[in-house]
Amino acid sequence: MVTDEIVIVTENRPLTGGHFLLSLHAPRQARSTRPGQFAMVRLLGDSSALLRRPMSIYDVRPLHGAAERATRSSADGMTGIKPGAASGNGDRSELIQLLYKVVGRGTQLMSELRPGDEVGLLAPLGHGFFEEEYLEQAKQAGEIWHVAGGIGIAALLLPAKSLAKAGIRQRLFFGGRTKEDLVGVEDFEPFMGEIMLASEDGSRGYRGYVTRPLEKALDSGYGKKLLLMACGPWAMLQATVELAKLHGQPCLVSMENRMGCGLGVCLGCSIRVKGEGHGSYERVCTEGPVFWADHVIWEKESIPKV
Amino acid sequence: MTSNQKKTPATGAETQSPEEEFIPRLDVTVAGIHFQNPVLTASGTFGYGQEFAHLIDLNQLGGIVVKGISAEPMPGNPSPRIYETESGMLNAIGLQNVGARKFLEEKLPFLRALRTRCLVNVFGYSTEDYVRCIEILNEGEGIDAYELNISCPNTRCGGMVYGNDPRLTEEVVSASKRVARRPLLVKLSPNVTDITLLARAAENGGADGLTLVNTFVGMAIDVETRAPRVSNVTAGLSGPAIKPVAVRMVYQTYRAVQIPIIGIGGIAKAEDALEYVIAGARAVQVGTANFYDPGASLRIVEGIRDYCRRHRVHFADLIGALRLPDHPAAPATEYAST
Repeated sequence: MVTDEIVIVTENRPLTGGHFLLSLHAPRQARSTRPGQFAMVRLLGDSSALLRRPMSIYDVRPLHGAAERATRSSADGMTGIKPGAASGNGDRSELIQLLYKVVGRGTQLMSELRPGDEVGLLAPLGHGFFEEEYLEQAKQAGEIWHVAGGIGIAALLLPAKSLAKAGIRQRLFFGGRTKEDLVGVEDFEPFMGEIMLASEDGSRGYRGYVTRPLEKALDSGYGKKLLLMACGPWAMLQATVELAKLHGQPCLVSMENRMGCGLGVCLGCSIRVKGEGHGSYERVCTEGPVFWADHVIWEKESIPKV
Repeated sequence: MTSNQKKTPATGAETQSPEEEFIPRLDVTVAGIHFQNPVLTASGTFGYGQEFAHLIDLNQLGGIVVKGISAEPMPGNPSPRIYETESGMLNAIGLQNVGARKFLEEKLPFLRALRTRCLVNVFGYSTEDYVRCIEILNEGEGIDAYELNISCPNTRCGGMVYGNDPRLTEEVVSASKRVARRPLLVKLSPNVTDITLLARAAENGGADGLTLVNTFVGMAIDVETRAPRVSNVTAGLSGPAIKPVAVRMVYQTYRAVQIPIIGIGGIAKAEDALEYVIAGARAVQVGTANFYDPGASLRIVEGIRDYCRRHRVHFADLIGALRLPDHPAAPATEYAST
């Protein structure tokens, strides 16, 4: 259930390479989040950012942990937050965590948020890694291979967690420009049989694009039934999808695009897909953000980075 | 509003201040359509209504203007389609829509069930297109009015050809009016030297009202790559950035035509809406604000109510209630032609 709420920042932790992990106290939204969904963040007050910013929901967690650390590290702002009662299904999640990189004006302003600050949060949004559909595919597959480029990693933690719970073997291929882009690796470690890292400058893991180790692994794992799940820049997705096709492996992609509303009305985030649908375009925010790779038309780079 | 609605229980009534006793009327009639309040959501910013049903009470809105509909479905433009600018946004969606027949089958039944008025924005590439679209829509039940879009800046040979030329405006409006079984509003483009010429042309063509204004043609460039920010190269600017220009156009047009005006452009709060009304608009549309603040329209209704209560006026008394200085230096009505 999507709601539009004013929520409180409990922590905005700086990571390497201009990345941040923003924790928001949003119990209702945290509990209704499913793997692969996203949130629209609105900066309040006299913000120079007019529109909300779309962000993958990286993780949902109970209030203790990140929030308590934030409470101890800041003397003010946190007194209003009390742990809520557990919901009927025993889900005690209260925090929504957004992993983001400063790439423009909106994310710059986000990076200045402090514990106790308020933001507008419209969440959870979109069709994520559709649990029923992808779990069925995943169970048929021998293994799930996650492929992440840069901040695309943010879309994959919740799917990885739920797949691990279902007892499915997983592997992560994660690339960035430098080692500073490889954030959150430790969060994935408990859920992955193997993690392959790559950086373009060779500062961590394989030197080059992440799709190269992926290609090698696909070659050597010939015959194994897989499901690929990818999120990252257009060129990486394009290369991943090409490799998946070559090896006859199904591939899900989590897409990004500029968004005006996140609700499916501005039609600003539409991407080209095969077949009829909403014309020959579908909305990343509504039909997506997760699509089957062979449904998307990959002909040229069209998704802006900022 | 009847007098018994103003009455309070006898006990304690005499202790109430006059402000609390005054209950302003917000309802208004525009082009023969009665609206429970003057706040409508603008075409292309509110989908087909349903998308907001879980976030706000749609029955509290004055009206919903649905996304522009053409006789045939339209795919729209390639990505990127939008870009945020200072206090505004550029969009070049390319009028992606499901087409008139699918709208009637799939979208209209939901809208019909609402108390809120339903207006359908109509566009085409030729006069015949507009006429054909209206003829299809005429078959649907529950549409309260048409809003003729002759002002989209983002389609190759689209509406703006009409919106820039008084002769063509009059032609497409009168052809549409002949077939339309509902009141016909015409949404004008601001990308003209003198909007009053187009307003009069629409009036002469038989328009029952005007919507002022559509987006301003704009452009943004990524200097690093030297590429336009939006695939269509140019795009329509909306949001708070355009409000002062659009208010001026409403002010000018109010003095140039007899038909009612609906004001639109950068309205995000009640004060914005009231500026348009005082300049001469009978109703307003909220557009871009719906994207980042789904509750904006209903808060504007409440803000207008508060204003009316505070000033002890009914909404209708505010229309065109501008207090001009005794000796305006340069009358704005002549601005465009000087």
